[in-house]
Amino acid sequence: MAENLIEIEGLRKQFDAPGGQSHIALEGIDLAVREGEFVSILGPSGCGKSTLLYMVGGFIAPSAGRIRVAGTAVDRPGPDRGPVFQEFALFPWKTVLQNVMYGLRVQNVPKAMARARAMALLDMVNLGPYADFFPKQLSGGMRQRVAIARTLAYEPRILLMDEPFGALDAHTRTNLQNELLGIWERDRKTVLFVTHGVDEAVFLSDRIVVMSASPGRVDEIVVVDLPRPRVRAELLVDRRYQDLVLHLEARLEVMQPSRTGAFS
Amino acid sequence: MNRVRSSTAWYWLGSIWPVLLVLALWQGVTAGGLIGPQLLPSPLAIAERLVERLQQPEFLFQIGQTLIRLGLGFAIALVAGMLLGAAMALGGERWLGPLVRLLAPVPKIALYPGLVLLFGYGHASKVALVVADVVFPIIYATYHGMRSVQPKLVWSAQAAGAGAGATILGVLLPSATPSLLTGCRIGLVIACINVFLAEMISSTDGLGHLLIVAARSYQVVDMFVPLVLISLIGLCLASALQWLRNRLPAAAA
Amino acid sequence: MSPGAVRGARARATGVAALPRPGGRHLLGRVLPLVLPLLFVALVWEACSRWAQTEEMPGLAEIGAAFVAILGSPRDLAGVSASLWRMAAGFALGLAIAVPVGLAMGRSPALARALNPITTMVYPVPKAALMPIIMLWFGIGDLSKVLVIFLGVSLPLLYHSYQGARSVDEKLVWSARAMGMRAAPRLVRIVLPGALPEVLLGCRVGIAMALITMVSSEMIARQDGAGELLFNALDMAVYPEVYAMILLIALIGLGLDFGFERLRRWLVRWSDTLQANDA
Repeated sequence: MAENLIEIEGLRKQFDAPGGQSHIALEGIDLAVREGEFVSILGPSGCGKSTLLYMVGGFIAPSAGRIRVAGTAVDRPGPDRGPVFQEFALFPWKTVLQNVMYGLRVQNVPKAMARARAMALLDMVNLGPYADFFPKQLSGGMRQRVAIARTLAYEPRILLMDEPFGALDAHTRTNLQNELLGIWERDRKTVLFVTHGVDEAVFLSDRIVVMSASPGRVDEIVVVDLPRPRVRAELLVDRRYQDLVLHLEARLEVMQPSRTGAFS
Repeated sequence: MNRVRSSTAWYWLGSIWPVLLVLALWQGVTAGGLIGPQLLPSPLAIAERLVERLQQPEFLFQIGQTLIRLGLGFAIALVAGMLLGAAMALGGERWLGPLVRLLAPVPKIALYPGLVLLFGYGHASKVALVVADVVFPIIYATYHGMRSVQPKLVWSAQAAGAGAGATILGVLLPSATPSLLTGCRIGLVIACINVFLAEMISSTDGLGHLLIVAARSYQVVDMFVPLVLISLIGLCLASALQWLRNRLPAAAA
Repeated sequence: MSPGAVRGARARATGVAALPRPGGRHLLGRVLPLVLPLLFVALVWEACSRWAQTEEMPGLAEIGAAFVAILGSPRDLAGVSASLWRMAAGFALGLAIAVPVGLAMGRSPALARALNPITTMVYPVPKAALMPIIMLWFGIGDLSKVLVIFLGVSLPLLYHSYQGARSVDEKLVWSARAMGMRAAPRLVRIVLPGALPEVLLGCRVGIAMALITMVSSEMIARQDGAGELLFNALDMAVYPEVYAMILLIALIGLGLDFGFERLRRWLVRWSDTLQANDA
């Protein structure tokens, strides 16, 4: 039984506006994630799922509660928790290869070795020929693959993915979902995957944390007991898959995010 | 290859024709005698005189004086402006912001007599004027360039393990470069203008001074030559920076 | 939403620039950021003056006395106000000519293509440097001075009006055309209000340029007015008066900018675009 890699206890996040109003984004979040698990965080807009992810990443500080990764408290970003953002966040002034090499160079890996590892990763995501292109010359799907390769390059223990396929068209999205699972199957990293797509969450995950909004709380944790490797064509006609999707869709339907005015 | 080159030439011509038209009209009006040469010399006469003067070492010396002040002033303003702008972007806005906002609307040319008192009639007062006026667009460009960096870029760098220094140098500055180049373009033109005006107001040498000397002796063509020259210098510098900015991959954003 | 994004959202909602302003809404909080830098500059000056101990760098007391003397002298005030009137005339001329042309450029790509190369060429020319040439043509009277100021303000007014007109949402214009509005009324009733935020930014730059052009052209021409007073003091080695005049001109610049900014903010309070609030 793998140990808990991520432990979140009593997490709370409150944002204060200068006018004196405050908005509670997250309240009382308790969550434990085992090493090698693929966990999705699913919920309607405004439920704080991205905020939760960023706090695990160390980009935002909690108002109360604790996050521990491998036993140590999280207080800043680090290469053990690699982010992949919806907007790709590639450095526009660097080539594709330079972007992927970035984390390695920051950690003082010798240039030749960094180059080799970066090229290997680019080949893995089928972007080898584009190594010397600039991000602006690539399509959205290609940029996201570069972003994933860049994060994988410095071999984080945990992948923090914030709706990484949200900005892509449906076809590219399904392709990348398959690619992501293929990559994940190789190393079995721990993944926290934020999404508001039910079928995406069920397709990818071992467990799904369903969140409700205003304030963001854990509504339910659903175990996805479907066999791997997951093949979309088979899943679509699998009864268990359909039940899971229906159940989750119904839960999301029930949750109506309330409006707090100042922050919408 | 030849086809590509000639099509770019046509494209260039296509965008510059209004200027050529104005020049042609100007030539026509003056050469045709509608306006006398003692009021407005023809562009050809000015060009001829310019070429003639460019072969005179004394004229080249004057150009050199102007360029020295221009270059030195701009260089100092660039360094100071980048440091101040970066300081403001990284948290110093509380203290530096009000000071910059206070001094910005003051017409710096009005400071020139004071600068002459403090620094004398030579290079220093003009360099000081250029620094005073050019530092503001540079501060502004650096500040806004660094502030408008996408936070996710910074987060990506931090997650990869980059410390504060590496983040500033490796992410904030490259992101700010397009903005900075635009600020430099504005700054260079302001520098040219300020040097020239300062040399007109009070100086013993330089291009601006030459204009005043020519004005006093009613040498109309010689009044136009330094003016045209400084304008061409400003134009070339601005165009060079614009070209540089467009070549940057980061300018796509 | 991060606190910064919240601040930005509220700022956008109220139309105020989103750069953080220390102090918030308290009166002291608003006055202090203006007063503190002034005090800082004054203290630095006084310290340098005492340290240098030269005639060329008089202390605050002497400068203050000279300043009061200028304000009390009818002749000096007449010169300064004449300068300001000429500035206003040149600016008004710019508004009347450069703004409409700029707006038209924004709506007509052909006109823009024709005029843009010319404005690019003219941009690096120091407008005040044209003063001797203009005086050659139009004599030494007010016309030359007003004309030079007009030339100085035209470019920023033109450029910003052009940009403003360009950025007007095409759908607004289409709606007006569908209602049967003709080109000229459209320009005034749809394009101008839509372009107004940008035009007013151009005016802010234009006011600064008017002052700069006025001061520099008068320092070159040396007949009367603020610039002449300034340079006269230098020539006659009345050093405190030099700095007092600089101070006066600086205060005029600050006052005009501050006053116009309030007007501009109020006029575009409906706009949801962020407006930069530095020069």
